[in-house]
Amino acid sequence: MLEYNFMQNAFIGGTIIAVICGIISYFVIIRRTAFAAHALGHISLTGAAGAVLIGFSPMAGLLTVNIISAIIMGFIGDRIRKNDLAIGIVLTFFLGLGAYFLYLYQTGYSGGVMAIMFGDILSVSTNQIYILLFLSAIILITLLTISKPLLFSSFDPTLAMAKRIPIRFLSIVFFILLAITVSMACQVVGALLIFALLVGPGAIASQLCDGFYSSISLSIAVSVITVWLSLTISFYLNLPTSFCITMIICILYSLSVIKNKLSSNAR
Amino acid sequence: MSDKNIVECKKLCIGYEHKSLTEPFDIELKENHWYGIIGANGTGKTTFFKTLLGIIKPISGEIRILDSSIGKHNIFISYIPQERELNTNDITSAYTLILSSYKAFKWGIPFYNKSLTKRVDEILEIIGASAFAHKPFNNLSGGQKKRIYLAQSLINDSKLVLMDEPLADLDPDSRQSFLQSLRSIHKETTLSLMMISHDMHEIAQYLDAFIHFKDNKVHLCREEPCIKESAYVGV
Repeated sequence: MLEYNFMQNAFIGGTIIAVICGIISYFVIIRRTAFAAHALGHISLTGAAGAVLIGFSPMAGLLTVNIISAIIMGFIGDRIRKNDLAIGIVLTFFLGLGAYFLYLYQTGYSGGVMAIMFGDILSVSTNQIYILLFLSAIILITLLTISKPLLFSSFDPTLAMAKRIPIRFLSIVFFILLAITVSMACQVVGALLIFALLVGPGAIASQLCDGFYSSISLSIAVSVITVWLSLTISFYLNLPTSFCITMIICILYSLSVIKNKLSSNAR
Repeated sequence: MSDKNIVECKKLCIGYEHKSLTEPFDIELKENHWYGIIGANGTGKTTFFKTLLGIIKPISGEIRILDSSIGKHNIFISYIPQERELNTNDITSAYTLILSSYKAFKWGIPFYNKSLTKRVDEILEIIGASAFAHKPFNNLSGGQKKRIYLAQSLINDSKLVLMDEPLADLDPDSRQSFLQSLRSIHKETTLSLMMISHDMHEIAQYLDAFIHFKDNKVHLCREEPCIKESAYVGV
């Protein structure tokens, strides 16, 4: 399988994306921003459609639109938990815009937009891998700087505010990181199935682990193993990779919930 | 007990927007003292806390906290509000919550070494929370959760802890355990405690002084008649 160039690229690209999704999804769970991850996935469609319309690459379009939406969500949303309304409004606006872009493009419906909707990891090029590495570096460096106050303000926003931790600033920065991650993950699972990699691994880890590092490690492990397994299955059984990813994540999540229930009954 | 001032208010007037809740008042609060804050509902007790934290601006006057203006030393002030929204998962333990609050105002990644975990264990011993600290936070009782909040204050070497109605909604046994934790802290650390409570008569014997909010006036008192009157007013 690995003798094919496209499979090598898929494994390298998939692993980079899986590691980043594993880390970010832990924060998505503790910050209760699953809806934002979902919304940004949908908004990606608008970015991709808009970019194709004016002759740019879908990736450039969705990255730009996602970051703009993330900043708006962070600004008009008030603290965590109360963000849903702000996210809903931004989502509606951009989805409407996306529908209009697709309407304008009716005559020459683009395969690029389709790939963004359902993901196309098998077509990742070497150039795209460089872009993924660059975006991952931005995310990791930012997290190395903010994860301590981000972790605390996620758990305990009231006390964080009393301690003068800049919770709104952290919220905006986190939304931007989320936007970049969503843009990356769109290539693997697609905008419509973004939930799988951006919520699944963190949700599974939160059922099984307590500490910060153990949760993030498990989340990364789940994410990476899922992507590897999915690529292998899709290669040999000729199934769509995004389908395999979503199925594996759902099965693992169900198992983690059962394990958690059994443990809490034993406690 | 120390004679060092931890909070100094000069001609301070507190309230929301332009509506003042108090006339200008002067108060000096000392290090390692335990203060009870009493007064009827709506007289400005919680507003006073929020003013000390810099969440609400004073209408007029000056406040110095730890010899600096408001907001400069918030890292040394802990706040236990009446209601608190926490985003813990089902299995997030109280211990993890305490660790996550350690120097959380600094940039960087969380780093927990052995000396920190040893210190957390010592603190849990002082407040009597060792037995349940590793249990999921969401499964703890109200009184146990409040003792974990105290541990969060201690791990960050706070100098001042502001507690808003910490005894409300606790059953008698939990109240006693929580008060016992506060007494241990008062005895073994130099922390200053400020506590809003409607049931001051129960704890009056442990307190060093009272801040009394009444008829738009605020004053410091140690006198028994004043305490009794306030306990009556507060109920």
